[in-house]
Amino acid sequence: MPQQIKRLIVAFAFFILLFLVLRQVLKPSSFGDLGHYRADAIQENIDSELHYAGIDNCSKCHEDIHMDKAIGFHANLNCEVCHGPGMKHVLYAGNFTDRQLPDSLLLYKPVGRSDCAVCHQVNAARIKILFDTIDNSMIRQIDAMTHNPVNKRTNEKLNCIDCHNPHQP
Amino acid sequence: MEQHIQNLYEVLSQVEGFVYPNEIELNWSILIVLYPFITGLVAGAFILASLERIFKVRILKPTYGIALLTALSFMLVATMPLISHLGKPFRAYEIMITPHLSSAMAIFGFVYLWYLMVVLLLEIWFDYRRDMILWANESKGVKRFLYRALSLWTTDISPKAIALDNKIGYIVTVIGVPSAFLLHGYVGFIFGSIKANPWWSTVLMPIIFLFSAIVSGIALVMLIYIIVSKVRKVKLNMACLDMIAMYLFYILLIDFVLEGLDQIHRIYEAEESFEVLHKLVFGKLFFTLFIMQGLLGTIVPLITLGIFQFYKPKENIRKVIYLIVPVLILIGVFFMRWNVVIGGQLFSKSFYGYTSFKIGLIGPEGYLMAAFWLIVPLLILAFLLWLLPPWKKKDEQSEIQSA
Amino acid sequence: MKIDKTKLSRRDFFKAGTIIVGGIAVSSTFIPFDGLLFAIERPKGKGKWYGIGIDINKCIGCGKCAKACKIENNVLDEPFYFRSWVEQYTIKMDGSILVESPNGGIDGFKQSVPDEEIFKSFFVPKMCNHCAKSPCVQVCPVGATFETPEGIVLVDETYCIGCRYCVQACPYGCRYIDPGKGTVDKCTLCIHRLDKGMQPACFEICPTEARIFGDLNDPKSKVNEFLKNHTCMVIKPHLNTDSKLFYNALSSEVR
Ligand code: HEC
Ligand code: HEC
Ligand code: HEC
Ligand code: HEC
Repeated sequence: MPQQIKRLIVAFAFFILLFLVLRQVLKPSSFGDLGHYRADAIQENIDSELHYAGIDNCSKCHEDIHMDKAIGFHANLNCEVCHGPGMKHVLYAGNFTDRQLPDSLLLYKPVGRSDCAVCHQVNAARIKILFDTIDNSMIRQIDAMTHNPVNKRTNEKLNCIDCHNPHQP
Repeated sequence: MEQHIQNLYEVLSQVEGFVYPNEIELNWSILIVLYPFITGLVAGAFILASLERIFKVRILKPTYGIALLTALSFMLVATMPLISHLGKPFRAYEIMITPHLSSAMAIFGFVYLWYLMVVLLLEIWFDYRRDMILWANESKGVKRFLYRALSLWTTDISPKAIALDNKIGYIVTVIGVPSAFLLHGYVGFIFGSIKANPWWSTVLMPIIFLFSAIVSGIALVMLIYIIVSKVRKVKLNMACLDMIAMYLFYILLIDFVLEGLDQIHRIYEAEESFEVLHKLVFGKLFFTLFIMQGLLGTIVPLITLGIFQFYKPKENIRKVIYLIVPVLILIGVFFMRWNVVIGGQLFSKSFYGYTSFKIGLIGPEGYLMAAFWLIVPLLILAFLLWLLPPWKKKDEQSEIQSA
Repeated sequence: MKIDKTKLSRRDFFKAGTIIVGGIAVSSTFIPFDGLLFAIERPKGKGKWYGIGIDINKCIGCGKCAKACKIENNVLDEPFYFRSWVEQYTIKMDGSILVESPNGGIDGFKQSVPDEEIFKSFFVPKMCNHCAKSPCVQVCPVGATFETPEGIVLVDETYCIGCRYCVQACPYGCRYIDPGKGTVDKCTLCIHRLDKGMQPACFEICPTEARIFGDLNDPKSKVNEFLKNHTCMVIKPHLNTDSKLFYNALSSEVR
C-alpha cells in the first residue's frame, strides 16, 4: 500500500476510534432504554415540586366551608382558584390549629372587587351556557364599576364580599 | 438576562396584531443568519474549485487554490455561529454522540464532518502533499515541523506517488461536488422541512439555498482573488475573471428564476398564510427583501454581468466592476438568508400578527459576535494563504513530464 | 502510449468515482430512512395514552389555568413565557378578527370592542397539544425532547442544548427558551401530578370544567366520553401532527 494512504488510514482510524470511545463514555446511561432519549428524564420530570393541593385536601380540615360551598353557586369552584396554591398550607397548617398561622402559610384572600371581576366582569365572550343547570343559566355577569360600588346610605366603598358570601354567593 | 427581558418588553410594545405569547421573542437571530451564509460560501467556493478540476475549465486555474483554501477556512468556522448561539454551547457534542436521525440538524453534524474531513481536507491534502514535503525541506524550525506534521510525515514524492495523489484528489473532487450540494441542500432542508412555518416550508428551499450558496461562494472567491492579487502586486488574470463572471451571471440567473418561481407559486396558491406573508413582505421585510436582496443583490449584478456577456468594456472598468459586483452579491445573499431566517420568525404562526426584532451590539447574539464569526474565517484564510500559498506550488504536470 | 494509459486510468477512476458517488447517494437515502418516516405511523402506547379535551363553550376566560400553570411549574413571571395561556377571539361585524391575550390572560380580560360591533366572541385556552407525531420531537437533534410511552411530550432539561429548533417547529407556539436555564421549556401535562393521581394544575383549577383529560385507550374515560358527545376538532389539522388536544366548538378562525 502506498505510504500516504497508509498514513491517512491510520489518521482516520485514530479519529474514528476516538469518536467511538468518546461516544461510549459520554452517552448517558439510560439513553435509548425507551426510545431516543434518556429514560431517566421522565422520572426527573416527575420529581418536580407540587404547588396546588387539589380540592379534596382542603375539605379535610375546612369541612364547614366545603359544605357551605357545596350547596352554593360556587360548588364547582376549587378552593385554590380563589385562594392560590395551597400545598404548603395543606402540609403544615395542621400544626397550627391552636396558634396563628405564620405568614408563609397564609393563603391569599381574594377580598378585592377585581378578584371577583376576573370571572364575573361582563364580557361578550362570557355569555356561556354552563353545565346542565335548571335554568340554562349563563355565568352571571355584572359590571364591577356599576354593580353596587358604594353603600348608598353611608357612601362607603363596598367589596363584593360585603354582600355576597364568597363561599356561598 | 435582565437586558434580555427589557428588550422583550420593548418588543412587546411593538407587536402588531396578535402573536402567541411565546413568539414575542425571536429565537433565531443574526448568528443563525450567518450560519447558512457561511456554509453557503463554503459550498460555492468548493464548486468553483471543482469546475476547474472536474470540468477542466483550465482558465480558472488561478483561483483553484484560493477557492479551496477559502472553502476550508470558512468551513472551519461554519458551525461556530450555530454553536455559539446555543443555550448550552458546551452540550453541543451531544449532536454527535446521540444524533436523532429524524432531525435535519443532527444529520447536519455528519454531513458537515463528511464534507470537512473526507472531502475538503482530503482534497487539499492530496493537492498539497508534495508541496508540503518540498516546503518542509526548504524551511526551518516550527514551519518545517508544521509542514511535516501536516503531510503526516510522508516522504514519498516519486512521480508514481504524485500521480496517485492526483487521481485520488480527482476522485475526492468528484465525490465533493454532490457532497457540496448535499451540504448546502441540507442547510436549506433545515428550514424547508419546518411545516409549521409557511415562509420556510417549500420544497424549493434546499435548491434555492444551494444556488444562492454557489453564487455567494463564487462571488467571494472572485473578491478574494482580486484582493490577494492586489496585495501580492501581481497582474489580474482578466480572462479568468471574465469566466468567473460568466458563471456568476448564469448561476445568479438560475437562482433568481428559482426564487421568483417560488414566490409566484406562493402567490398563485395563496394559502391560508398568504395574507400575513403578503403584509410581511411589503412591510417589515420590504427593505431587506426588495432593496437589499432584490435590487442591490440580484437585479443590479444581473444587469451588469448580463451586459458583459455581450459587450465587454475596457479592462479598467471591468476591474472596478468585478470588485463591486461580488460585494453586492454577497450583501444580497446575506440578506436572502436574513429574509429567510428573520422573516420566517417575524410573523406569528397564528397568522394574526407580527413581532418585532431587536439585536444589540454586544452580547452573545449581538452584531459584534456576528462580525467576529465573519472575521475569523478571513484570518484563517490569511494564515492558510501564508502557510500553503497556491501560487508557490510547483507545477506538477510539467515536472512529471520532465522526470 | 503513455498518454493513452493515463486516459484509460482516468476513465477507470471516473467509473470508480461514479460508483462511489452513486453508492453514497443510494446509501444516504437509506440510512436516515427511519427519520424520514417520522410522521407516518402513529406511535401508540399499550398502557395509558393521554388526551385532552377543551370545551370552548364553557371557558369563561378567567385565566386561572394560565396562572396556575405558571405557579405550579415555576414558569418565569414575564409575559413572554407560557406553557398554557388563554386567547380571546372577537369577530367583528365587519368580519375582521381581533385576537388578544394580555399577559396570557392571567390578569383577566377586558372587553375591548363595544357590544354592538361584535359578531361573536369567545375564549380559547391554549396549551401543548402533546401531538402523537410531534414536529418538535422530530426535529430535536439530540433526543432531549421526546414522547413518553403515555403520549406526553417532555423535555430533558439536563440534555437540551438550547438550539431552539423545536421552538421553530412547534406550530402552536407552545415552547419557549428559559433565559435563565438556556434550555427549552414546555408543558409537561403536569406529569408530576399525574404520577400522584392528581389532575394537571390547569384542569384542577378550571372553575367550569371546560378542560377534560383522560386516557384515550380507555373507552370509558372522560375524554372519550367528551369526544363522543361533542363534535371536536384540533387546531391546524392539515399539519398532520396528530394532536391530542381536542376542542369542542372550535371556530375556523382559531389558529
Ligand atoms: C391540615 C389541615 C388543613 C388543610 C388540609 C387546609 N387548611 Fe386551611 N387552615 C388550616 C388551619 C389550621 C388554618 C388556621 C386556622 C383558621 O383560620 O381556621 C387554616 C386557615 C386557612 C385560611 C385562612 C387563612 C387566613 O388568612 O386567615 C384559608 C384561606 C385556608 N385555610 C384555605 C385552605 C385551602 C384553600 C386549603 C386547601 C388547599 C386548605 N386551607 C387546607 C388548616 C388546614
Ligand atoms: C370565590 C372564591 C372563593 C372560593 C372558591 C373559596 N374561597 Fe375561601 N374565601 C374567599 C374569600 C373572598 C375569603 C375572605 C372572606 C372574608 O375575609 O370575609 C375567604 C376566606 C376563607 C377562609 C378564612 C376563614 C373565613 O371564613 O374568613 C377560609 C378558611 C377559606 N376561605 C377556605 C376556603 C376553602 C376550604 C375553600 C374550598 C372549599 C374556599 N375557601 C373556596 C373566597 C373563596
Ligand atoms: C374562578 C371564577 C370565579 C370567581 C373568582 C368568582 N366566581 Fe362567582 N361564580 C363563578 C361560577 C363558575 C359561578 C356559577 C355560575 C352558575 O352556575 O350560574 C359563579 C356564581 C356566582 C354567583 C351566583 C350567580 C347566580 O347565579 O345568581 C354569585 C353571586 C357569585 N358567583 C359571586 C361571586 C363573588 C362575590 C365573587 C368574589 C368573591 C366571585 N363570585 C368569584 C365563578 C367565579
Ligand atoms: C350592596 C351589596 C352588593 C355588593 C357590594 C355586590 N353585590 Fe352582587 N348582588 C347583590 C344583590 C342584592 C344581587 C341580586 C340582585 C341583582 O341581581 O341585582 C347581586 C347579584 C349578583 C350577581 C348575580 C347577577 C345576576 O345576573 O343574577 C353576581 C354575579 C354578583 N352579584 C356579583 C358581584 C360581584 C362580583 C361583586 C363585587 C364586584 C358584587 N356582586 C358586589 C348585592 C351586592
